[in-house]
Amino acid sequence: MKNQDTSDRFEELEAGRILGDLVPSEVQDWKMLSANPSNQADLSLELAAAALDAEFLANEDTVLPEELLKKLHNGISEFVKAEPENAVIVRPARWQGLLASSKAAWSIAALFAVLFVAKSFVEKNSVDPESLMATAPEKASSSEARKTLISKAGDLIQSEFGGTENYNQMSGTVVWSDALQEGYMSLTNLPANDPGAKQYQLWIVDPGRDEKPVDGGVFDISANDGTAIIPIRNPLMVTNPQAFVITLEQSGGVVVSKQEIVVALAKTS
Amino acid sequence: MVLLRVAQGDERAMEQSITKFGPLVWSIAKRHVQDHSALEDIVQETFTDLWKSAKRYNPAIATESTFVGLLARRRAIDFARKESRRPQFESLPDADSLPHASTESSAALLCESKDVRAALKELPEETQRIFSLHFDEGMTHPEIVEKTGLPLGTVKTRLRRGLIDLRNKFRRLDSGQSPSNP
Repeated sequence: MKNQDTSDRFEELEAGRILGDLVPSEVQDWKMLSANPSNQADLSLELAAAALDAEFLANEDTVLPEELLKKLHNGISEFVKAEPENAVIVRPARWQGLLASSKAAWSIAALFAVLFVAKSFVEKNSVDPESLMATAPEKASSSEARKTLISKAGDLIQSEFGGTENYNQMSGTVVWSDALQEGYMSLTNLPANDPGAKQYQLWIVDPGRDEKPVDGGVFDISANDGTAIIPIRNPLMVTNPQAFVITLEQSGGVVVSKQEIVVALAKTS
Repeated sequence: MVLLRVAQGDERAMEQSITKFGPLVWSIAKRHVQDHSALEDIVQETFTDLWKSAKRYNPAIATESTFVGLLARRRAIDFARKESRRPQFESLPDADSLPHASTESSAALLCESKDVRAALKELPEETQRIFSLHFDEGMTHPEIVEKTGLPLGTVKTRLRRGLIDLRNKFRRLDSGQSPSNP
């Protein structure tokens, strides 16, 4: 076979491999041809197939099963653990064993020094599952992310919150981008809540998507928050929000709100 | 660019990626796998891959959707291949291969939605139809054979050569030329 024919044949087999339709004899051919250094495939055919998938499937009205969504969001802490660790973390079982040993006192002193470093590392790097559920308000990163969103989003929606009767001292704004699926609330004078008893929960009204509002995440306000910046955590795609509603719910939030305590409302149209 | 933030270890960006790309990943997996629990595994594994390999994403090489679609395809096709007990075959390259490959400018395919549609229209009509049945309607090869009456070999050849042809058209579009220019 001439070089050009070989190259064409390899490319066709590579396309078959990416499409997942090679038969056994073709697999053997592919293996043989791929051993030739001149037949090194790049990613371009695979990217072309992925671009087709993205074009045809990205706009489908597909919704992930709610259970799976929950698993994915709760599993983010697992993703983080998958990162290579670059420090040794001393686990309790290990240091208890060391303390029980008859090693010299200096080793115990050294151990406490290590524990101090390890504790700092753990506190800095560990992901508290609760932090994924309830947002700590006024994080510097949320504030910066909000500013970035406002500056870069070409389709930014901005609306003012109005508090209901018992919350008429509060004020705030919501910013949202459909394209980026990102948004933030800036809330002032919202009463502090006891996270163990009640939590605030955001709802996004998007009738084009569903008559039920989309859960925008639960959050807490502490006594000295001042103005709290709360990121919106929508597990489902929101495409044309008509309103953002804050309710006060049981700790952990609810799947469907009875809207017994509506705190504030921001209409976008 | 949410993937660039995922690459920096931003967990909030990871949440946004799940919201933004979850339906695409689910749809791709569903094209190749029917079993519900396997589908869920593929979606979860794809997002694990995304977290690990986002730092290899290069916006000059592919759009974010294409990059995520590529990860989902690999997971789904590998699973389908194993399930169907096809002959043992090397898996498509895993995420670790991305840094090398994705930095090669020859692999770049930064085509936007309108470019994909424009390039598709340049394919022969019969190939366009087969592409539509396969990529849009999600038909398997035997289903396309039944629908069109074409021999299986023809369907496979049209899809393979059509993919190569499209890749070449995308490259021309990326370089600012018309997709039909040689």
